[in-house]
Amino acid sequence: MVIRMSKRVISIFLGPQHPGAPGNVAFKLLVDGERVLDIELVPGFLHRGFEKMMEYRRWDMDLVMSARICVEDPDHVELAFTHALEQIYGIEPPEKAKYVRIVVAEFSRLASHLLWMMHFAGPIAARYATSWAIAAREEILKWFDYVTGHRIYHHYIFPGGIRWDIPSDFKERTLKVLKHIESLIRDLEKGFFKHPIFVKRARDLGRLKPADAIRLGATGPVLRGSGVKHDLRKLLKYDAYGEIDFEIAHGEYGDSYDRAMVRLKEMYISMEIIKQAISKMPIDGPYRWRLQPAIPAGEGIGRVESARGEFIAHIINKPPNKFSKPLTPYRVKFRGPTMAHLTTVLKHIVRNEEITVADLPVLIGSLDPCPPDIDR
Amino acid sequence: MVLSAILLGFKYLFKRPYTRMYPYKEKAYTTSKTRARHILYLDRCIGCRACQFACPADAIKMYVLEGDYPKNRKKIFPGIDYSRCTYCGLCVEACPVNALVMTNYTMEHLITEDKSTTLYTPEMLSVPPKGEYIVTLSKDTWKKPPSPIPKKK
Repeated sequence: MVIRMSKRVISIFLGPQHPGAPGNVAFKLLVDGERVLDIELVPGFLHRGFEKMMEYRRWDMDLVMSARICVEDPDHVELAFTHALEQIYGIEPPEKAKYVRIVVAEFSRLASHLLWMMHFAGPIAARYATSWAIAAREEILKWFDYVTGHRIYHHYIFPGGIRWDIPSDFKERTLKVLKHIESLIRDLEKGFFKHPIFVKRARDLGRLKPADAIRLGATGPVLRGSGVKHDLRKLLKYDAYGEIDFEIAHGEYGDSYDRAMVRLKEMYISMEIIKQAISKMPIDGPYRWRLQPAIPAGEGIGRVESARGEFIAHIINKPPNKFSKPLTPYRVKFRGPTMAHLTTVLKHIVRNEEITVADLPVLIGSLDPCPPDIDR
Repeated sequence: MVLSAILLGFKYLFKRPYTRMYPYKEKAYTTSKTRARHILYLDRCIGCRACQFACPADAIKMYVLEGDYPKNRKKIFPGIDYSRCTYCGLCVEACPVNALVMTNYTMEHLITEDKSTTLYTPEMLSVPPKGEYIVTLSKDTWKKPPSPIPKKK
């Protein structure tokens, strides 16, 4: 598509300080009056160089750093890194750790989706929904503090299992938290997701066909919102997901409303998974194998279905030389879901649909971007 | 639709706010697992520098102390810069003699307007916090793991 620059067509910046921008990214827009003709992502405001830093640190330090790659959903990054390392070590985590891991990961997904409500309901001017969602997330953060010791970055899922044992009243407390947030999420559904203003704003906005979604590299709720039933939890059955019976939430039409509804359904499904995992979890038994600091030579890939889409961690380690065994990985590479969503998917939607400046924050919000995972 | 929305709004109108007036009116929400300020037992530390090597944020430096420490021949002890510390707990996990533990005390070492006060020398770390606290992370947190590790099929 060739856009002719004229007096009417001007280029403006959205972000990174703009309240409509989804965090630490900027967008360069070409606008003709109210209509956005083209959009370009300007990343790099949060580059910290984690992949290079990880080459100079041991794997346990790398794991502590890896949680910072996606602030809103840190447990899935830890899980991907853990799977890759366990593949290199060639070990299987203890049975109990597998169940605790999926409980922690699903709570992380719930917390992430509730935080997404804040970014999404804000541009639609539904301030009540943001505060209800944050109140529900606060209960989850307190639960994280009680199980893992921290609210945001937990460092709990570790290669070889989980870092320490669960508290004695884990089941009762978890069910209590679930009961509390379930009532809040039901209120959100009644007060926000079924609200006529929300439906009018989000319906028919940013439609993505299933073939386009696959071609453009969309994953997670964006792909499932277009009607493609693709979920790594079902496909790879990592950790204890193979033992758990759940369905894949999916949309039909592929617009912003469908993507939002997929996330709402996923919140209910996550709560169902947690309840099943708690009932099937073994009470006794080991929870962690201690691994040697020296990494064996090899290559490992961890793929997980995070709250935003597919997260991949790829670790390569070289064989030991005659002087020493390597303590640090040779190369670590992460793949986050947000880069594809904010570049190819967003560009495709903006070029093929009439998007106005007022609709843009709603559209970007429906893709649920996590800018830290673009820059890393 | 309108009536149910108004009723739903009324439900939240009279709820207590979730905001905590930290640190002036209320203390931080802590649990029995919260990782926060360290305590260093000078009589147990052997000066092996395992905590320094385990720290991913380079927050730990070793300081030489004057005095009589029979277990610590080099007389080097860890000091923590709390403006760098991420409270990951790897130093506590690395300590072989349980000399470094973590408590759930999160007050004056975190909340300060003067950044020079966040550097804690070994003497300052060895003094327990003034307020209420419990030891949340120590060597006793981990049970002895079974060996050997089963291999993946």
